[in-house]
Amino acid sequence: MEYVMGIKGKGFAMVCTSATAVQQIITMKHDEDKILPLGTHTMVATSGEPGDRVQFSEFVAANARLYALRNKSKLSTKAIANFTRGELATALRKGPKSANLLVAGYDKGKGASLYFLDYLATLHSMNIAGYGYGSWFVLSMYDRMWHPDLTEAEALEMMRLGIEEVKNRLVVASPTYTVKIVDENGIRTIPL
Amino acid sequence: MARRYDSRTTIFSPEGRLYQVEYAMESISNSGSAIGILCKDGVVLATEKKVISKLLDTGAVGCKREKMYKIDDHVAVAVAGLTADANILINKARLNAQQYLFTYQESMPVEQLVRRLCDVKQGYTQFGGMRPFGVSFLYAGWDEEAGFQLYHSDPSGNYAGWKAHAIGANNQQAQNILNQDWKEDFSFRDAMKLALKVLGKTMDSTSLTSDKVEMSVVKRDEETGETLFSYVTEEELDPLTEEVNEEGKAAKSDD
Amino acid sequence: MASTRLNVPGLDGRCAGASRAAATLALGGADLASLAGGSPVASEFPLPAVQDLDRFENNVQELVKPEHGTTTLGFIFRDGVIIAVDSRASQGSYVSSQTVKKVIEINPYLVGTMAGGAADCAFWQRNLGMQCRMFELKNKKRITVCAASKMLANTMYSYKGMGLSMGSMIGGWDPSGPAIYYVDSDGQRTKGTIFSVGSGSLYAYGVLDQGYKWDMDVDTAVELGQRAIYHAQFRDAVSGGTCSVYHITKDGWTKIRGNNHYDMHYQYYPGGHPTAANDVI
Repeated sequence: MEYVMGIKGKGFAMVCTSATAVQQIITMKHDEDKILPLGTHTMVATSGEPGDRVQFSEFVAANARLYALRNKSKLSTKAIANFTRGELATALRKGPKSANLLVAGYDKGKGASLYFLDYLATLHSMNIAGYGYGSWFVLSMYDRMWHPDLTEAEALEMMRLGIEEVKNRLVVASPTYTVKIVDENGIRTIPL
Repeated sequence: MARRYDSRTTIFSPEGRLYQVEYAMESISNSGSAIGILCKDGVVLATEKKVISKLLDTGAVGCKREKMYKIDDHVAVAVAGLTADANILINKARLNAQQYLFTYQESMPVEQLVRRLCDVKQGYTQFGGMRPFGVSFLYAGWDEEAGFQLYHSDPSGNYAGWKAHAIGANNQQAQNILNQDWKEDFSFRDAMKLALKVLGKTMDSTSLTSDKVEMSVVKRDEETGETLFSYVTEEELDPLTEEVNEEGKAAKSDD
Repeated sequence: MASTRLNVPGLDGRCAGASRAAATLALGGADLASLAGGSPVASEFPLPAVQDLDRFENNVQELVKPEHGTTTLGFIFRDGVIIAVDSRASQGSYVSSQTVKKVIEINPYLVGTMAGGAADCAFWQRNLGMQCRMFELKNKKRITVCAASKMLANTMYSYKGMGLSMGSMIGGWDPSGPAIYYVDSDGQRTKGTIFSVGSGSLYAYGVLDQGYKWDMDVDTAVELGQRAIYHAQFRDAVSGGTCSVYHITKDGWTKIRGNNHYDMHYQYYPGGHPTAANDVI
């Protein structure tokens, strides 16, 4: 079952997704990367219907790249989140996209940010956020653990505990997960 | 012979010129001048006020200011040329600025706004049946990417960034003065005085009075993090114009 | 024949005269001469006496859609790519063919497999073949597996929600080496090393996962592919016929095997399958 969690810490944002590609009751793949970079310092963690999920996040990535090419400067994480929200909102009454996103990024002078953006085009700036059945267990756990001065090591430990909880409690937990972090140095994948 | 090539904007003359575009620029050179000056912590825009009749109801919408327009909280323009043409473009600029804000929840970078308007202007030099916009703009603004900026755009759709620039009547002479007098560490007061000096020299009338001048400034409020655009009142201008006039007289007697 | 043509668009209790006439023509029940003279009156035309014309015999229509049952698989190993498929086509519980070719040879280095609606698969994969050939002519080089699968996925995505049914693997060899992509009519596309698609895929996965090793030689790999398909055919009622196995290397694909299911059965289990060897009660 799809699982997405995100944490904003001091100077970084971290996201985690299940790494399985599922077709009906079959797990087709254990290393599906559902976290797409949108430039050097912004990424989007995704869940939703596989077609929409990929096509829509690629569409957003292409628009971010196009903006950078046209305007020398890159879009901020906030701008990307708001742009994406607009696209989802427009699509909602035409051909809705089943894509739930967490936009995470680091902007010079502004620090890290984490945006929750669901398929109904709800946009929130969050400290912790998530999607999927697994997130119900983990959100409360993170509510308990999160604090404003959260370090990378602490956040990674939270991600580990979250995955552990999901595997422990959720009937349909995914066996594999991906964790990525974005900070002033850019985006990195963290081995679990 | 020239008549064969200057009736349409879309056709090059054998010398490779677009006459209609050149005529548009010419029309701007005959209009009241506008000056923009970049200083340490802001931008100053100044224009010559042509109609100073007492009977003009400046309280009516659109009559208070002749050639100065606020596009968004962080951008303003001064116009030289046909004001009616300018209104169309200013409308587009305001719309673009709001559309950008709507899409990204961030203010539109100044250069992007300039480029959007220039794309419109360029279109009228290439597509048939239209006359080019007879306006030049001076854009003053601030954005996070590039700080304070001053741009100029002409009817051909060309634009460039400047530290100080003058358009309209006698712009060559104005440009010369700006070239000589502009300094990197200008304060607002210095910039305003230089603008008044240039206006005094390029205007037809002999004496410079504050009722013949429109002036505005773009600056930052560091506390609130907002960009502020404000008009300089006649009361604020009076002591400056006086000073400039005095200095002018002193310089003349030195000669 | 007539009953299957009932789903003419616009044919319902409220339809206008013209489309009703067209529908009736399709049913073969209208007199052409009467149509030519003046506008037809709705009640003149015979319609099945049923409550819900729109859904009349819809379930029958569903049943006659061919090839829902299938087993296809593909995997990458040390010496290339193996693609193996069955050959049965079914329409509901009716086996409509035992000799369907479910591997489409797009070019000498690229193949696609078919599962789902036979017409959808055949049509869109041939369409993909055309697009790949166009790519080759335009760019003077062979298309990559990545690009070919993306083209198919984009086509599928553009028709999403319009009733297409296709689950396909695009396998091949390009300058970056061997590759398999899974593409389906939901628009999903993903790269992988082991895939199986179709109603028998669960059975095939069981055998495949148990026997798969990266380091196996070609004979073992071919045998693994065939064995996985065989066991899927054995368990899955709507998979069967023959088993075709393709091997793809840097030199392109070759068809290695095409064995009849029954021959394989008696080869693997000459005395009958042990799970079925209980005494008859």
